[in-house]
Amino acid sequence: MFGLLEDAGFKRVRSTIVPGFAFRKESTRDAAEGYGVKAVLLTAQKPTT
Amino acid sequence: MTDVAPLHAEEQAPLEGVIKGEVLRMYQEVAEHPEGEFHFYHGRQAAEMFGYEREWLDRAPPGAVASFAGVGNPHLRSRLQAGEVVLDLGSGAGLDSIIAGWQVGPTGRVIGVDLNPTMCRKAEAHAAASGVRMACHEGRMEDIPLPDASVDVVISNGVINLSFRKRTVIRELFRLLKPGGRLSITDIVSAKQLSQSIVNDPKLWAS
Repeated sequence: MFGLLEDAGFKRVRSTIVPGFAFRKESTRDAAEGYGVKAVLLTAQKPTT
Repeated sequence: MTDVAPLHAEEQAPLEGVIKGEVLRMYQEVAEHPEGEFHFYHGRQAAEMFGYEREWLDRAPPGAVASFAGVGNPHLRSRLQAGEVVLDLGSGAGLDSIIAGWQVGPTGRVIGVDLNPTMCRKAEAHAAASGVRMACHEGRMEDIPLPDASVDVVISNGVINLSFRKRTVIRELFRLLKPGGRLSITDIVSAKQLSQSIVNDPKLWAS
């Protein structure tokens, strides 16, 4: 998603991992870990010109 | 996650429709039966886990808090100012819209967009009960029903990952933001390409 924001023209793209995010069900959590699934907080700005 | 799941176009179209239906069903279930069990944490427990201020959660209508199904806290970096126009993409039962509305105050306003018209009406009712000016539009995030350069800030919480066309969604956000406008979104990403079995499973995709 970071790359998609930059490709669209956004500037000052920042990404931080959301601490504490997890799926509630163990089976989903295990599968998600295998794929490196994370929650992130993304910020970006549209250029002024 | 990549923009489009690795399917041929003729395979993707019907699957996208099925997934849209599953997304609608699952989040309506969270709204109508928040006491139920889901793949994800939700409600006050989830909001507290992500650092939502207790004062917000005590002050917001219980129905908006109980149906919260976000994956983080976009308010941590939104830096909202009085008078700003905010879009809450995938506004659900309205908790994030309400919190944004309190920050932009009576001179600002919040616009919600949600796939589900029932959720839109619910979010508007919760916002009105919270003293927040909010209008919610039924719409798809790939084709947001708002004019160009009409919004100061976009917030969103756990929604864009549900789209098959993430690149289109991001372009839409760029289009409707004013020059200098900002976004603060929390969402799910994966380091690896999801397997076709997951992509083809509407229940897993929707969760």
